[in-house]
Amino acid sequence: MDTSLLAIGAALAVGIPAAATAWAQGRIGPAAAASLAEKPELSTTAIILIAIPETMVILGFVVAVMILLRSGAAG
Amino acid sequence: MIVSMTRVRLAGPAAQLERVLAFVQDLGVLHLVRPQVPASEKLQQSKPERHCRRMLSDVEVALRQLGIERRSRTVVAKPESVIAAARLARRLRRASGKVMKARAALDDERVMLLRYREFFSAFESLIGHELTWPDGKAFYVVLRAGSATALGELRKALTKAVGEELELLDRPLASGELAVLILVSNDAAPKVAKLLSDSRVQELPAPAGLGETNLLRAMPALKARLAAIPRAIEELETERRRLAEGNAATLNRLRWWLRDELLVLEARNQVHAGRHLFVLEGWLPDTKRADLVEQVASLGPEIVIEFLGSEAWKANAPVALTNPALFRPFEIVTRLMPLPRYGTIDPTPFLAIFFPAFFGLMLGDVGYGLLLVGIAVLLRFKSRPGTTLRSVSVIAGACSIFSVLFGVLFGELFGNLGHGVGMKPLWFNREEAIVPFLALSVAIGVVHISLGLVLAAITAWRRGHTREAAGRGVAVLMVLLTVAALLAAFKLLPSGLMTPFVIALLVAFPVLIALEGIVAVIELLSTFGHILSYARIMALGTASLMLAVVANQMVGTFGSVVVGVVFALLFHVVNFAIGLFSPTIHALRLHSVEFLGKFFSPGGAEYRPLSHWQPQH
Repeated sequence: MDTSLLAIGAALAVGIPAAATAWAQGRIGPAAAASLAEKPELSTTAIILIAIPETMVILGFVVAVMILLRSGAAG
Repeated sequence: MIVSMTRVRLAGPAAQLERVLAFVQDLGVLHLVRPQVPASEKLQQSKPERHCRRMLSDVEVALRQLGIERRSRTVVAKPESVIAAARLARRLRRASGKVMKARAALDDERVMLLRYREFFSAFESLIGHELTWPDGKAFYVVLRAGSATALGELRKALTKAVGEELELLDRPLASGELAVLILVSNDAAPKVAKLLSDSRVQELPAPAGLGETNLLRAMPALKARLAAIPRAIEELETERRRLAEGNAATLNRLRWWLRDELLVLEARNQVHAGRHLFVLEGWLPDTKRADLVEQVASLGPEIVIEFLGSEAWKANAPVALTNPALFRPFEIVTRLMPLPRYGTIDPTPFLAIFFPAFFGLMLGDVGYGLLLVGIAVLLRFKSRPGTTLRSVSVIAGACSIFSVLFGVLFGELFGNLGHGVGMKPLWFNREEAIVPFLALSVAIGVVHISLGLVLAAITAWRRGHTREAAGRGVAVLMVLLTVAALLAAFKLLPSGLMTPFVIALLVAFPVLIALEGIVAVIELLSTFGHILSYARIMALGTASLMLAVVANQMVGTFGSVVVGVVFALLFHVVNFAIGLFSPTIHALRLHSVEFLGKFFSPGGAEYRPLSHWQPQH
């Protein structure tokens, strides 16, 4: 397959989940901040909740690396 | 490990209650709970408790206002007269409040007068001019910075309004503003006042409280006041020091006694006390049982002790964690989450092993690891034993050791900088071996999640939920069979083993559904999702390495080596900061969501024995 198409695929694999993660964290962040204002003891839960959507971009990153490895553009 | 608890009941004559409570407080091992007997009276916040709280508030406020250092515990004794002590506390609170208020007012006044001082000086240099208009009126105006044209316009407008019956003098101020003195005859004064008002030019008012509205005539008084304020402040300080020195010891003793007394009064709410008899119940560690029996015997035969053996009650036992010294600092990580329920498993030892290991795998760099060693050592010297900061220093130390260790295994020193000095990876190079690193991460996930499922089976078994325990066991088996089948499919195990593994999986699947219902399918799928989630170890590790490599490449890309090195150092600092924050969050998340989610049972009440008050660190 064309290397450029593979590169675009890898970029999309990491870019789209990154945007989705940003959107999710953008919603969780204010809610967590509002909760912390009332219950500071929830700080750990808040941090973990904010970290949860990062799974998407991390898995996206893994997929992107796999695509690049297959194309021979990395590794 | 969660400390094994015993429930104990003490009973005796009601008249002995205060003595027994003092004894229990001295002992400091009994976590009091309300006895399971009908209460003869509804206990609310008692009058003595309200008085104590009010008195403590007076003492704390007086200590703060007088700037007295809170002393560590000394001999705590009840004051000879509690009423006299309460009066003293109230009197000191009021006296110190009065001093504080007067001091704040003087500070405010001084700040205000200092703000005016420059204006005063500017107008003072114009003072002789005012005298040339003995029957006239003076207006003091300050024009904003950058309004040079405004002065011309003001002069023009004034001349138009009052003709030649005016003198206008100006002086620039250090702030860029313009101090302007307008001298006019008494006849023209109303017109000038109206003009200034209409054009929104504000006059500088003389500070209130000096009994003089003419600014020039007020100046001597203002100067005198400015000179007098420091003396007045010094007098107040002397008064504050006198109050503090004379009462520091008394207030500190009173504070400790009140704190202790409040704990006893609060504990009294947990005691069933009738007219003739009291019953007190609580939990204490099994290991303290013999001690308690021995100590209670010293109270005399009227106090009866009974151990309550019902296992059903143990569900409500308070939770105290006990771990080896090496693992103990990690209890602060466990305490970031709700406490585990009594009878379940304390995750601290697992956290102590896996948390720094995951962190080290993600950071995995000798250079960054050594920087973290430095931070850990610094924190250790800056902290006192038993404090949260000391625990953080130990955790940072463990994480740094793992970072250095994995850094050596991966051959990384500030990214690929180590390659230049002959450093070679002892295990694999994370820059190139991306797939092996991913496989390692997922394999760690398999081990960690399987361990979580095994612990879930043990917890269920201990609580008598045999079916659930068997279900967790089958789930572990299915995870391991799936991994084995995949390894056989990729020829990492003999391919002939694949068929038996798949058959075993097909047999285990209906067994799992029979044991745990259809929801087990969803749980199993989520378990595989959780295992894949460990890929973040590889993702964060690779990202950290790549950022370090980019930082190193900066040296040769800016033309000047010096500029390149500065940028590279800055980038390394940023990467190090990310390298501390991100692995911490994700190692914590892998534990709290993926691992603890399998077996952790939150909701335990913390073991808080009645003891003497100690300030929180």
